Amino acid sequence: MNAKPPRLWISNAKPRQGEKLRVRAQIEHIMESGLRTDPQGAVRPRNIVSRFEARLNQTLLFAWEPGISIAQDPYIEFAFLARESGELYLRWEDESGQSTSVSRPITVV
Amino acid sequence: MQRRTLITAGGAALALPVAALAQQSKVPLAPILAPNPQEFRRIVAEFTGGRKPETRGLELDVPVLADNPSGVPVKVVVTEPMTGQDWCEQIIVLAELNPLPLACTLYFTAAAGVAEAAVRARLAQSQTLHALARMKSGRILGASQEVTVAASGCGM
Repeated sequence: MNAKPPRLWISNAKPRQGEKLRVRAQIEHIMESGLRTDPQGAVRPRNIVSRFEARLNQTLLFAWEPGISIAQDPYIEFAFLARESGELYLRWEDESGQSTSVSRPITVV
Repeated sequence: MQRRTLITAGGAALALPVAALAQQSKVPLAPILAPNPQEFRRIVAEFTGGRKPETRGLELDVPVLADNPSGVPVKVVVTEPMTGQDWCEQIIVLAELNPLPLACTLYFTAAAGVAEAAVRARLAQSQTLHALARMKSGRILGASQEVTVAASGCGM
């Protein structure tokens, strides 16, 4: 799906209980809209990232379903309240069925 | 070609887009990039279920002038408190004049405790962006923001 691993930033990996954590993540992806043509005039087949999920210890926190109006190399920022420690797991899936993921520990102190 | 002729020709070419803007005519787009107002109305009707969106409680943050139509920062924040009983379940972001108006769907959970997200959209032309939020209780919140993309702008 992409050569480089996802880029991920978390506002605080060791938050206090109830603190609002912000997460920013970006992957490399062509986000081919299906509107473009190649030099021969043939339409390039559509292939966009169609689903993004953020989970903390298997619990779904946030999901995102981009359309073709989302920019190349999709960037997503979301927030959640730190209520428990655990592994924050982010996963992207595109329409060709390929996926990529990244995870980062969160420790509530 | 003489220098003066060239300058006149250049001036005419420059004047043309301005004149076009003054007439409020839309920038001609390839048919494939044409807006789809039926689809836009259908999505809004389906999401709201005929309810009128409340104008408070949802913030849509978009630059008024976007220099890069291929990556327009769009931020949505639900300012209503998220409690165990009522939280924001879903937000849709719509680019009214894009070929497919539904830019993205955002799903929130009670586990997250807050509903805010930011993405980058690509826009086919200057237009109004809309965000609609549905709360667990069934209330619909709405916000809109006009955005002008830089002159040559098609980011699709």
